[in-house]
Amino acid sequence: MEKIKPGLSDYLEFNKYRAINLMHIGRMAAKRGPFDLHRDLKRYPWLLDLLKVNSLLQRLVKGRSGNYRTAVAMVLGGVVDGVIELLEGIFYRSDHLILHEDLLPPEIFRAMGLQPWVPELLGILLPMIVPDSMQKYLDAAENEGIPPDICSLPRATIGMAMKNAFPPPLAVVSSNLPCDGGMSSYTVIAQQTKKPAYWVDVPFDFKSERALNYFAGELKAMIAWLEEHTPGKMDWDRLKEICDKRNVMAELELDIWDMIRQRPAPMAAEAVWMSHLWFFNVNPGYDTSIQLLADLKSLTEENLATGISAVSHEKYRALLWNPPTLHYVDLLVLAERTYGVSLILDSMSFNRQPFIDTSSTDSMLKSLGSIIMQGPMARHTRGPAEMNYFPDIFHMVKHFDLNMVWVAGHIGCKNTQAMSGILQEKCRDAGIPLLVIDYDLMDSRITPKEGIQEQVGNFMENIMKARRLD
Amino acid sequence: MNNGRYYGGCDVGSTTGKAVILGSEGIVGSSLIPSEIDPEITARHALEKACASVPGLEGIQGLSYLIGTGYGRNEVPFASENISEISCHAMGAFWCDPSIKTIVDIGGQDMKAIALADDGSVREFAMNDKCAAGTGRFFEAMSRIFRMDLDEFSKLSLSARKTIPVTAQCSVFAETEVISLLAKRNPPADIAAGIQNAVGKRCFTLLKRVGLKPHLTVTGGCAKNQGLLMELRRLFQIDIAPMTVDPQLIGALGAAILASRKK
Repeated sequence: MEKIKPGLSDYLEFNKYRAINLMHIGRMAAKRGPFDLHRDLKRYPWLLDLLKVNSLLQRLVKGRSGNYRTAVAMVLGGVVDGVIELLEGIFYRSDHLILHEDLLPPEIFRAMGLQPWVPELLGILLPMIVPDSMQKYLDAAENEGIPPDICSLPRATIGMAMKNAFPPPLAVVSSNLPCDGGMSSYTVIAQQTKKPAYWVDVPFDFKSERALNYFAGELKAMIAWLEEHTPGKMDWDRLKEICDKRNVMAELELDIWDMIRQRPAPMAAEAVWMSHLWFFNVNPGYDTSIQLLADLKSLTEENLATGISAVSHEKYRALLWNPPTLHYVDLLVLAERTYGVSLILDSMSFNRQPFIDTSSTDSMLKSLGSIIMQGPMARHTRGPAEMNYFPDIFHMVKHFDLNMVWVAGHIGCKNTQAMSGILQEKCRDAGIPLLVIDYDLMDSRITPKEGIQEQVGNFMENIMKARRLD
Repeated sequence: MNNGRYYGGCDVGSTTGKAVILGSEGIVGSSLIPSEIDPEITARHALEKACASVPGLEGIQGLSYLIGTGYGRNEVPFASENISEISCHAMGAFWCDPSIKTIVDIGGQDMKAIALADDGSVREFAMNDKCAAGTGRFFEAMSRIFRMDLDEFSKLSLSARKTIPVTAQCSVFAETEVISLLAKRNPPADIAAGIQNAVGKRCFTLLKRVGLKPHLTVTGGCAKNQGLLMELRRLFQIDIAPMTVDPQLIGALGAAILASRKK
């Protein structure tokens, strides 16, 4: 392992963000008071795992220094702030609470004055903090007869629903994305919560104008349904404001992406993927999200201007395809320190159409629909792969000057599992080294972190001929 | 290679420990011993035995450079360096025959398919290290059911008149299936052919992942299984290039070659 000794300022930055995280948590605890807090912890036992977020901070800043370290800590701090805001929402605005699937635009719910809660969110966040945190929910779902071979994210979500781990909503909104497992999880959630549910029909052919119009019509119908079943009322001016601000975020992100094209990259890994994951999918159009991306851009610019790379001794530049290895999210820290691998960008962040046309209500709905249909988990799970899957991968490899593609081969994702074999052949023809990591997104019992390390080690040492830096 | 200098490669496998010593005239010593529980002891014994067969070489300390490989390679403290067995098998096979483009390595507890680049380095690989089916351990278990030693069992399918399919994917269930087939008085040779066929199909799946290009060779202990080689030839419709060196030593040989390149 490359020995990087963080300086005094690095320690101070780390402690600053540790204190900020504790402050966010303390703010909520103080607001709730001991009685309510005790009741909340009993009602939602997963809160205890969320409270351990500083252990994740510690793992993610390990071996990182300077602006890169600050950026990673800052992004995680922003996520913590956002989670606390969501929690406050379920405690204090439960009369506006809806559960919605992660591939529906949160901008709409915010504009309607609703308090959205994405059930999948916990399945994404918790294993990053406590790697085995979802196992009890996975087992709970299986014990109730949910097939063990469906994706562990909806399976864990079903387990949580069965254990009554979600806040009681007014309504449930879902869609036919991204997969059968995802759809079935919302059937269970609707049954468990005994609340009215609405399914948005997203057209399969995401490329045509007709499909966009259809999706926009579906979103309109969803809004009407929500207005009927919840106190939410659509405020189109508010939606325009949110979308305008989201466009500012997208501009900032594109500026960052432009800078990370440079070799060595001035920013990498969580600063890139986690910032997109949270701020674009959960908190789009927030002033705090804009500020965070602006700060991230400044840190990146500063590194670029002074010739400092995020990963010291960057030797390899990687593209991560699929969601990151949630139960071993510090894999990238290891890859940086052991082989000098810099994770430049990931498929979950990449979107060819990030902007929203705010000129009319229809154009906003169509753009929001387009972002979803052209985004991860939709565009790439619909064929033909020759037109979207492979061109996107090869475009990113070329555009960002990457050395290799890492596919987090989540064993539960049948859509992408099928693609990996074909991708292998395509990459072989294109001369792009490809690593497919066999693992499960959130169940470390399938492939523990040591197994992931071994796969990465075998690939780096045998295919990339990398020498360990330790 | 400099005169009077010796280079060692030690492949610490799950079932056997192998060592190869290279001198200026090529392979000057080698050994193959059953593995001990402690990989360090396996490595030491294998190397001491190989070194003892080289006149003028004063034990392990006399080696100019030593590379450890195999699953136990990280437990060999006296090695100058450790290198993955995937690269070592590629280099060993390439040294024996530079026309080799694809390798199937079947060891005691895993199976690998390795595609080689023109310089003998690894272009792609795929491995099965989670399941015992199709590994040396599986053949050991099968030969026990047939009350035969491994050598005898490996030849059994050569006299088969037909192939009785063994459909279980798991070695534990395959064992049960084979016992049941024997109990039904099916000819042992035909059942053995089914076993070789099941393993051959596993090899084929792995090879498909890396892309099968001639020439193909088989390394590892199971490369000595004649029934399996015959089945692989039949399944792949391709000849299997023989190695000029004991195929079980290829990993250790590759390690020794890589060691000899460290000046």
